Amino acid sequence: MFRGFKMTLKTILLVLMLVIPFFLYAAAAYGSTFQTNLLLILMIGNMLVVLKKG
Amino acid sequence: MIDLFIVKWILAFSPILTVLILMIFRNWSGSRAGAAGWFVSLIAAILVFGAHPTLLAYSQMKGVLLALNVLYIIWAALLLYHVVNETGAIKEIGIGIQRFSGDKAIQLLIFGWIFASFLQGVAGYGVPIAVVAPLLVGLGFSPVVAVAVPAIGHSWSVTFGSMGASFQALMAVSGLESSYLAPWSATLLGITTFLCGIFAVHVYGGWKMVKHSLPAILIIGTAMAATQYLLAVFGMWTLGGLGASLVGLCCGLAVAKLKMYNQTQSLDTQSEMGIWWALSGYFILIIVVSSGVMIPAVKSWLGQVNLTVSFPEIVSLEGWVTKAGNGKSINVFGHGGALLLYASILSYYLYRGKGFYKPDTLKRIVANTIKNGVPTSLGIVSMICFAMIMDHCQMIFILAEGINRIFGTIYPLFSPWVGLLGAFMTGSNTNSNVVFGVLQQETAEMAGISVALILAAQTTGGALGSMIAPAKILVGCSTVGLSGQEGPVLKATLRYGLIITSIVGIIALLASLIV
Repeated sequence: MFRGFKMTLKTILLVLMLVIPFFLYAAAAYGSTFQTNLLLILMIGNMLVVLKKG
Repeated sequence: MIDLFIVKWILAFSPILTVLILMIFRNWSGSRAGAAGWFVSLIAAILVFGAHPTLLAYSQMKGVLLALNVLYIIWAALLLYHVVNETGAIKEIGIGIQRFSGDKAIQLLIFGWIFASFLQGVAGYGVPIAVVAPLLVGLGFSPVVAVAVPAIGHSWSVTFGSMGASFQALMAVSGLESSYLAPWSATLLGITTFLCGIFAVHVYGGWKMVKHSLPAILIIGTAMAATQYLLAVFGMWTLGGLGASLVGLCCGLAVAKLKMYNQTQSLDTQSEMGIWWALSGYFILIIVVSSGVMIPAVKSWLGQVNLTVSFPEIVSLEGWVTKAGNGKSINVFGHGGALLLYASILSYYLYRGKGFYKPDTLKRIVANTIKNGVPTSLGIVSMICFAMIMDHCQMIFILAEGINRIFGTIYPLFSPWVGLLGAFMTGSNTNSNVVFGVLQQETAEMAGISVALILAAQTTGGALGSMIAPAKILVGCSTVGLSGQEGPVLKATLRYGLIITSIVGIIALLASLIV
């Protein structure tokens, strides 16, 4: 069960890693500094989890 | 007074050094080490190299587009492998080959060189060593030889194997087309084909056995190297490893019937599905990929939907300019990965119709594909994303300039060693190409050397790194009961890996004087 949870978590991390940059691109393209910074923080958080659990 | 350039060079190298140290000395996985490298590049980029939020946002989007190009192939290749493997076809192919010859040299060549390369062509990821090593033990070879031979024998096929994933990664990070990169890559890898065959036999029987099997090596090697070259140069690089090894298999089985090698062997093992049904999934693959690449009407019909994202000019706070342009586009229905996907689906229904699957097979195929694909993907995405941060902040340029200042025009001698280092550390030709591809490209441009030649040396060195990558050696040893005793295997493969890489470096240097 634990192994299943770990794989599900890794899959979610991968999906986030692939999806967040699309939102980052949109935020940067529209010149929204606040949203860009917020999404960068989200990406940093995602990478931190990968660093710990990847 | 320390030269500021040297300090900047060390800081620019720090993300790569982080990945290498964590993977070698701390045994971290590619995904964790890639994430660590990403953080180091982010910190260095913000504090020293002038990164800002908009630059980071655009660089990450570019990284994801590059990564998707690579992941599309990797996932589809994994799917096809599991579709075929669930029928027992891989084992079946091994049995079919065994019936052809009792000559030890021919058995080594067919299993350790050709069949291992075939498995690299269709799967990769340590599968060649893990599958072939037990087969060789079953034929009476010692466990050390059984692991070392396929490790050496399959290396030449890594770049164009796994449906060309490593080559795709090289194209993605360099932004260069296959038509430009393929000729030199296939040439250097073609030379390596012969060297891998020679040393695969040498590790078992020394020069005496090499002399005995030289005619076979020359015939089969020429067939495989030429096939890989033609497939790569004519745009079918996804089939480079697979096609070459299939042709090699046919040649090998024919050579086994030559008078000097003709010793038949009877087997107790019964064949359940027959070798032709076992290979049918790959015949479908060849038909689908050939149609998608070579028939203009099909190629153009499949190429109608392209995911393309445009980017503005990006300037770092230090004044480094990345020009405006499109990111790596994805041909959604005509991509190599898409063709693999079609072949997987067709193969699945064929095998299901013939009754080769047990119950719940589809669930197992999907589960195993995800189980293999997710960890690899995490590593690849994080490494590509940090390579993009480095590229947009002048970090790669600074690394290239430093290398150029030291080596200048003799750089080609060292370029395969960079690829080898990357693959040795990360266990992957693909990761090596991602991490070092842009660096090698910029160094070549600065030194006025052919970029195609240097990138060919990079990917050849990266391919050769497979024979000494600890991760792959560990997997192979675990399948033959050598867990904890990898030393003798690594000692053997390291020796040959260093010799072949030296030869490739010399050839690259000589070629750079002509090109």
